[in-house]
Parts: sequence; structure tokens; C-alpha cells
Amino acid sequence: MKNLSKKSLWLSGAASLLLLSACDTEATDEVDESVEAEAPAETDEQVLNVQLNVEVASMDPQIATDGTSFEVIANTIEGLYQTDSDGQAVPALVESAEKGEDGLSYTFKLREDATWSNGEPVTAHDFVYAWRRLADPDTGSEYSYIMGIAGLVNANEVLAGEKAPEELGVQASDDYTLDVQLANPVPYFESLMSFIPFFPLNEDFMTEVGDSYGTSPETLLANGAYEVSSYEPAATTIELDKNEEYYDADNVVLDGVDYQVIKDSQQAMLSYQNGDLDLVTLAGEQVDLFKDDPEFVNVQAGYLWYISPNTLVEGLENANLRKALATSFDKQQITDTILKDGSVPADYIIPDGLAVGPDGKDFRETSDTYLEYDPEGAKESLEAAKSELGQDSFTFGLLVEDTESAINVAQVLKSQIESNLDGVTIEIEQMPKKTRLERMKQADYDLGLTRWGPDYADPMTYADLWVTDGNNNDGAWSNADYDELVYSSIDGELSLDDEARWEALKEAESILLNDAGVLPVYQKGNAVMVQDNVSGIDFHAVGLPRVYKFAVKE
Amino acid sequence: MDKPLNRPIQQTLNDFSFIGQDNVRVMDEVYEEDSFWKQLVKRIAKNKGSVFGFVTITLIIFMALVGPMISGYEFDEQIAGHESMAPRIPVMENFGIFDGSETLKTSTGELVVNKYETIEGGEDAYHWFGTDVLGRDLFTRTWVGTRISLYIALVAVIVDVFIGMSYGMISGYYGGKVDNAMQRSVEVLNGIPNLVVVTLLIIVLKPGLMSITLAIAITGWIGMSRVSRASMLKLKESEYVLAARTMGAKDMTIMYKEILPNIFSQLLIMSMFSIPNAIFTEAFLAFVGIGIPVPMASLGSLISENFKSLTTHFYMIVPPVLVLALLMLSFNLLADGLRDALDPTMKEV
Amino acid sequence: MKKYILKRVGMSVVTLLVIVLVLFVLMQLLPGSPFNDERLSIEQQQVLMSKYGLNDSAPVQFFRYVRNMLTGDFGKSYTISKDTDVALLLQNRLPTSLLLGGLSILLGSVAGLFLGVAAALKHNSLLDSAATFFSVIGVSIPSYVFALGLSYFFGFQLSWLPMLYNADDGLRAFALPAVALSMTVMATVARFTRTEMIEVLNSDYMQLVESKGVSGVHLIFKHALRNASISIITILGPLVVSLMTGSLVVEKIFSIPGIGQLMVQAIQSNDYNVILALAFVYSALYIFVMLAVDILYGVLDPRIRLAKEDAHG
Repeated sequence: MKNLSKKSLWLSGAASLLLLSACDTEATDEVDESVEAEAPAETDEQVLNVQLNVEVASMDPQIATDGTSFEVIANTIEGLYQTDSDGQAVPALVESAEKGEDGLSYTFKLREDATWSNGEPVTAHDFVYAWRRLADPDTGSEYSYIMGIAGLVNANEVLAGEKAPEELGVQASDDYTLDVQLANPVPYFESLMSFIPFFPLNEDFMTEVGDSYGTSPETLLANGAYEVSSYEPAATTIELDKNEEYYDADNVVLDGVDYQVIKDSQQAMLSYQNGDLDLVTLAGEQVDLFKDDPEFVNVQAGYLWYISPNTLVEGLENANLRKALATSFDKQQITDTILKDGSVPADYIIPDGLAVGPDGKDFRETSDTYLEYDPEGAKESLEAAKSELGQDSFTFGLLVEDTESAINVAQVLKSQIESNLDGVTIEIEQMPKKTRLERMKQADYDLGLTRWGPDYADPMTYADLWVTDGNNNDGAWSNADYDELVYSSIDGELSLDDEARWEALKEAESILLNDAGVLPVYQKGNAVMVQDNVSGIDFHAVGLPRVYKFAVKE
Repeated sequence: MDKPLNRPIQQTLNDFSFIGQDNVRVMDEVYEEDSFWKQLVKRIAKNKGSVFGFVTITLIIFMALVGPMISGYEFDEQIAGHESMAPRIPVMENFGIFDGSETLKTSTGELVVNKYETIEGGEDAYHWFGTDVLGRDLFTRTWVGTRISLYIALVAVIVDVFIGMSYGMISGYYGGKVDNAMQRSVEVLNGIPNLVVVTLLIIVLKPGLMSITLAIAITGWIGMSRVSRASMLKLKESEYVLAARTMGAKDMTIMYKEILPNIFSQLLIMSMFSIPNAIFTEAFLAFVGIGIPVPMASLGSLISENFKSLTTHFYMIVPPVLVLALLMLSFNLLADGLRDALDPTMKEV
Repeated sequence: MKKYILKRVGMSVVTLLVIVLVLFVLMQLLPGSPFNDERLSIEQQQVLMSKYGLNDSAPVQFFRYVRNMLTGDFGKSYTISKDTDVALLLQNRLPTSLLLGGLSILLGSVAGLFLGVAAALKHNSLLDSAATFFSVIGVSIPSYVFALGLSYFFGFQLSWLPMLYNADDGLRAFALPAVALSMTVMATVARFTRTEMIEVLNSDYMQLVESKGVSGVHLIFKHALRNASISIITILGPLVVSLMTGSLVVEKIFSIPGIGQLMVQAIQSNDYNVILALAFVYSALYIFVMLAVDILYGVLDPRIRLAKEDAHG
């Protein structure tokens, strides 16, 4: 009996081992081969390997909304302008631009040597087509409102479905001349033209591929530095090859860009150290390990994180209470010990490095700061609020998205607010982003930790958020002076005078923050690692985060 | 019992061996003095593994109750400056281990740091399991988290026993149309991936302990019902059931008095398996971001929280993983012991 | 038997339809909308809602969905991959997930059976304890900790296997993820095999078989394991589906384009069609597996087959 069980055990064991080892040998053999085969190939070809945090949501310039999609699109399609390393708009497809004297019209002459990857020339008609498509309500573009921001004639009427897209203030007077009519002067119009939704598309090609546009390399067209050679919807790997037909191909050094979607930052970092990646984004704690590395780079991002107080909620209509909350948490501690990624405390609402004024200086250089961390002042404001409201204790829910950094920040906020403000209790409610947005839209919240990324390089991209009844003014904060300043700066009297407009925007910010209409927390930074043989990648705070046109890998 | 396969030989030998007076007396004593429960305890005590399991579970429950009180920290207390500190334990620090120093493998070389020496007042601070990235004491959090996980384990077993076992037995016993209807309902419920039901449910309800309990209650018992049904199918045709039925026993009596004792051991083990499943469901929810609401902790949420620092501060994830693994091991060993003690078929050996 | 199988298949189709209905109801309750992003105005949201027919009443939507589904049209993705056919997403991602799941099940069951049989034959020995220990570790450590550990040692430190999934690597790319994913399967199968085998080995008929002179491998596999397998198969079905949870985690860590990740993303971003399609695929898979298990049951255990044929005519 004993012998028997031993024998059978051995046999059944051997059977399973055989199976296992069969897999093993196969695997190891292949490892050796591929290491030898791949190594020389990589030195010949200069391909940049880049990590993405999330899949591309859309390759359609008029449909895409997120930074990742924008980054990949911008590598393959070029617009009228592009952003240079300093964040300034420089001509791309535009050869010369003529601005009307009143600032109400533009005439763009396009370069004639630009072609799509199918050989068709890039013409002014491609722009007209794309812009009408953007404004057409049937397209359902999330960014269509930006047509109104750009101030094109009839833009708002087309958006509202009151006029046909053909009535939009843009025409092609010939193949290479684009005429644009504005309803009011827009000082940042040229910078806006480097934004992805204004990028051209070829109408013939679009009609040909129809709904399947952007679902495979064959259904994509490129006119930029690279073209897509491998892609499928929601792919985790995307390959771009150098576009030899690109008019400026001589200045593009890389042979291609390979994207790899890696959501786990630790795994991404291991791959980077392995040499599989050239560019990765670090998260929180990892910064401790890599901050002294020469390959470590801190990049400022435009995103501003703030708490939106719902002024319809009992207690939060009181400015003193909002002020007490806003000044009771240590922003420096949040950025230095929790985020560590180069984020900076925000004592403002217009981010640093967003926009340069008529004086040639950054907005923040010439404006004040508000709502700094001040535990003593916060206590005083709280006392004032308590006597005004006749209430001693307050409990507020804090809506948070279920991402690691947001949850950590919320926990610190809760801990600091509760320890600095007697009688205030914060209850964190974590949920998916869509649910948070819904709750905030319905004004079914007390406090919401949220963020806003700039769409264009002007303070207005933030300032117009808090006008009365604004689409994103979830907290229903309202101030008549603020409204007047902002509306006048968009298309009123102030829009005609750049300097007065600039001052007015500063005043608007002070009105908003002195009343603690929002509670700014921090301006996001990114900690990235770039291999030391790679150079020439441009990082931007506004619009396009990263541009690889001039990247070099040695 | 040790070598089951040797039994026939032993029995043959026993048949022919001389039965002394002593043996008979011992047998008598067993039946006279020991109640069922006493026997049970004795049998469990004989199995070293189950004793270990029992002791460990008791110890873990004890620590879960007492641990948070003796650390001197609150589970949600964020001490500014105490972020990411390595474990430091009195006495042991003198031997060069757990002295609060950790080696950071930075890209520019290894770096030994000891935060207790660099921060103000750090000399007198002790964090036995270290602290997390927000400066919270991990010892306290681990034991507070253990409470939640034990609670979830309890929920899982209760749901298994009360819903799963009964459902499966009734379905298997009656068979025919009843079985058919009951199995179709289970198929619908089980056909929707667990993950989808749980996630949808928690997003629809408000994330929190109650929703998690409900989510586990709704989906947790299905595996158990399947096993108990299969066992019922196997046993209901057996002779002794037939015998009981002929003698006029009611359905309920047959099910719970005749059949259940015979399949209970197997089911118990299955229910022990639903404990890790339940705890992992909770951990999975934490991983997705809709688990126990912060700053509350469970072992699962602690693991997914500290997982993010695995390659930087390895020590953070060790305590919850260790406690969880110990808890699972103990439940399994105890289940084994219980099985051996309860199983009537094993008793003969 | 044939009649029985036909009946079961028919029933499965009905079950699937009911599942789609239940999912539909759950999704009506899901807070938020796929089109509530900050930059979309209320009017635009309405345009989008009606473009995709989301303003229609629930029954209308349900029947339209079922009708389209029967023609292979799973609708469009709203948020994850905007305006893309869900069928296309499935086509790209499903094979990868199935391959990974299949490999893990295979690896896990083989290893689990081996551990379980070994532990049962050497009941209460050191080997038994070792097998128990292994299987407990398998269920006690979350797969993501395990996955990152594997990736760290075999991928990073030793560089034996790729850390990230790449379709060009072939099966090699699945090595680490499959091992990480197979742990739960292995542990569960091992535990169950052990319990069942001990019971079977102690049964009277095994002694009968033994006394008839059957021995060795034949005894273990033909007689003991065959009997034990009835219960073991019951747990494999649910395990196949529970792999989904694991696959989400493993997919995330090894960057595998599978459907586990897609699922959670879809739920969180209200991508209704993707949720429905993925849940449907999993449900269909599950029901298929359970059907197979039921039929296997009959093949392996004549008692059940007879009982069933009685019950179902």
C-alpha cells in the first residue's frame, strides 16, 4: 500500500512537472533569441518609448478631450500653429497671417508643400470642413464651445442649432487661403489655433471611411511629423513611424515613437529602469527614490485643484465660514509630503505660467495671492461665522474621485480642517468621476474636490467658470461685479483694450477669492524621468502636454 | 486515522489479537463521561494544526480588539513629519533590527535613512509597524483593519450557512421542478459576473460598509449552494435516507438531521473558502477605489493602499499581508480539524 | 441524454436574456451619465443622449439592444473609446483575455490536482502540510502583490521573462501573468482535491477495488480521481468566472489589453454598451461552462445521470 501510493504520487507528479517544464523550456529558449535579435535593431532605429497612463479615447481631433489622445493626435496632425518650447504659438501650416485692423478678421495663407499621408494636399477646405464639424451640434463634440471662445461669427448660433454650420465665420477663398471673421476681438486667437479641436481633417477621406475613422492605421490620415503604423481602439500599444511626406521631415530625427499604456506606476518605473521605456511619469513615493537622479525632471502642469463649496448648502453661504475652511489647511504640506511631484501650493485661481499679459509678464508675476494657510486667521473667521450663523458645529461631506492622489489629499484636508477648526467635521465621500460630476451638477454636495485644466493660454479659461449660472459653476457662487468684469472682457468694452482687460481679470480674481467663492488647493506638477540619451522633448502646461517633434535619442 | 490506507490490515490484526480487560474499560469511560462537545474538543485538540489555527485566530481577534488601544495612536491620526517611517520596536532596536532605519534603493545608489533620528521628537517615538505615507501608525491601522476583515469573514460565513447551505439542500433534495426553478434563478444571479454585480451595486448604493456587506450577502452564497446541492444529490438516494423516509421522517428532519451531519464537514470547508473570497472582494473594491471609505481601513484596503509603496517602502505592506495570510492559514487549519472531528465517516477510523 | 442537453441549451438562452434584462435594470439605476463631462453644455448632452437613443424609454432601449445584439451589433462605446463599435473592442481584446484565462486555468488545475493528490495520499504528513501551506498562500496573498513580486524578480532582477505584455512575444508574454493568475485556481483545486481524495480513498468501494488487485496509477486515476472529480468539477465552473476579478488586476500590472480592465473602466465611466457587452460575454461563457459541467457530471457519475433523466423525462 505504501509503495503504491509513492509510485503513483511520483507518476502524477512527473506528469505535471513535464507539463510545467515544457512551458519553461519553450519560454527560456525564446528569451535568448529575442534578446539577441532585438538588441542590434534598436541601436539602428531611433524609436522613443513613451509610457501613457491611460488608453487613447479617440483619434478624432474634434471628438478627443483628454491629454493622452491630444498627445498622440498632435504627433500625427498639424494645425495652423504649434506650440514651441516656451509655450508660444509659432506658425505650423500657416505661412503668413494677416490680422484685420479692428482685430475682427484673420486671413491665413497656408503653406503649399504640406500633404496628407495619402498624397492629397492639405488645403484651406480641410480647415473649413473640420471647423464646421466642430461647431455642428450633431457631431457632439465636447469642445465645440471653444468655437464660441474663439469668437467666430455665428459660432454661438451654430452651436445652439439656430444656424447651419455653413454660416460659421470661416471660408476658404482659394485652396491655400483661409478667411476668418470674428464677432469680437480675441487677443489669444492665434494661440488658440494650436489647440487640437481646430486641427484640419480631409473631407474626402472622412466621407470614404465614414464612422470607422480612427479605428486602424488605414483609417487615419497624418500631415504631421509622424504617422500611425499600429493602432486599434483602446490599444495598450501604439506605434508611430516618422512621416516621410511631412514638409519639415528633415528636422525630425526620430524614426518613430512607441507608446505603451502602463497604469501601474511601479511597473512603469521598473520597465524604465530596465531600459524598456524612455519617458515615464512618477507617482508619490517613488519621487523619494529618484529625485536626485540627473534623469529626474519636474514639469509644471496647468491643472488647478480646488474645493468647490456649494453655496446653496446651509452654512456655506457664509463667506467667513468658507474663508475659515480655505485657510485652515497647509497646502505646502500637501504638496511636499503627499504629492511630491512638483505640485505647488495654490494661493490663486489663475495658474502660474498660464498666460502672458500685454506687459510681457506672466499673470501671476503682477497679481496678488489670496487665502494663504493661516490657522489663526481661520479660527477667527470661524468664530465670526459661528456668531453670524448662530451655530457651533458644522458637518460637511467632501466629494472625492477614486484616484490615489485625490483620496490622499482629501484625507489630509479632512485631518487638517478638523484639527484647526473646532466644531467642523468633514466626511469624505469617494466615488467614480462620473458620479461626482453628476452629484455636483445636481448641486447635491457640500464640498467637492475638483480640478480644471486650461484650454487656452488666457486667464479667461478659468475666470468664466464662476459667472452666475455658468455651466460649471456648480457651487452657484454669484457676484454681480464679477459677472460684469468677465462678460465685458469676453465680448464687451474691455475686450477692445488689452491692458484694461488684463487688470479687470486681476480684479475678478480678487473678488472671487476674497469672498472665498472657491478654495484653491494646489497647482499640479508632474515628476517625470527621461533617459539621459534623450533630449528635445517639449513639456507644456497648456493645451498639449508633450511634443516630440524635435526629440532626439542618441 | 494517521494512515487510513493501512486500516484493513490493522483491523485484521486486531480481530485476531487478544482483547484485554483494559481496552474494554477505556471504551466504557469514553461513552460514559464525554458529551458530544467534549468529544469534539478532544478530537480537535488532538490535531496540532487545528490547535495552532484556533490559537492564532484567538490571538488575532484579541489583537484586533486590544491592538488599537495600546499603540498610543489613533488609526486616522496623521502626524505631520512622521510620514513613511520604518518600523521601530523597543528592545529589538538594540540588536540592529527594527531600529527605524530603512534602505532606499535610489537610482543614484543605496541610501540608509532613519527618520527617527532626523525629525524633532523622533528619538522617543516608536511605530512598531512603521507609518504610512500620510504619517499614520500602521500598527494601529492594521488591527483596526483586522476588525473590518473579521467582520466581513463573519458575514461571509453566516451568509454561506444560512442562505447558501439551505438553498442548495432544498434545491437538491426536492429536485424536479423546484430544483429547476431554483437553479435557473441561481444561474441568472451567478451568470452576471460577480465583479459587475458588486461594483454596480456599490456605485448605485453609497459606498460604505453597509453596501459592501449587502454586496457580499447577495453574491457570496452561490458557491456554497452549488456544493451543498451536489452533496445532497449524492446522498439523497442512499439507503439510510430511504430508511428514514420509510420510517416516516419529515423532509426537514431528513435534510437537517440525517443528511446535513454527513455533508457538514465538506460545507464547512467550503465556507472557510468563502472567507478569503469575501475578504478579497472587499480588497478588490478597495483596489478599484470603492471599498471601505477612507480613513477607515480593512486588511484589504490596507494592502491595496500600501501596495502603491511596495517598491519604495516595502515594510508598509508586510503587516496586513502577514495578518491576512495568517488568518487564512488558521481558518483553513481549524477547518481541517473541525472536519476530522465532526465527520461521522472519519470517526470510525 | 440528447433531449436533456437540448433542453438545457434552450434554457441557457432564456437565462442569458434574463441576465441582459437584469443588467439593463441595474444600469438604469447607475448614477451619472456617459455625457456629463464638465465641458458639455446641457443642450449638447441632450443632443448626444438622443443621438444614441438614450432618451427613449427603457423597454424600447432594451428591445432595440437585444434586436441589434442578435445581429452582432453591440452598439457604440460612449466614453472609453469614443464612438467606436463595441464589437470591435471585443474583437481586439477578447482573444487575449480568453487565452490568458485558459492558460491560468490549465496551469492552476494541473498544479492543484498534483498538490491535492499528493497531500491526500500522504495525509497528515509533512508533504500534506507543505501542500496546505502552498495552497493557503495562494488564496491569502492578493494577486496584485503576487503579480508585482513575480514581475520584480523574474522580469526586473533576473530579466528572464518580459515584464510588460507585447503581442510579438507570443506565449512568453503570458508566462508571468498566467502564473500570477493561476494561484487562486491552484489553491482552490488543491484544497478540494485533497478533501475529496481523502474521502474517496477511505470509501468501501476503494477497498473493494484494491482487494480486486487494481493498483498504482490505475487505481488513483481511474478509480479514485474519477470519483473525486465530480466535486472538483463543480468548483471549476465558478472559478473560470472568478478569474475575471483577478484578470483585471493582472491586466493592469502587466499592461495586457484584455477585457477585465475594460469592465471596471466601463462601469466607472457609464459606458453602458461596453458594460452590457462584456457582462454578456462573461455570462455566456459562464453558462456554457456550467452546461458543460452538468453534462460532464452525468458522464462521470451514472447515478446523477439516471436521476436527471428521471426528473426531466
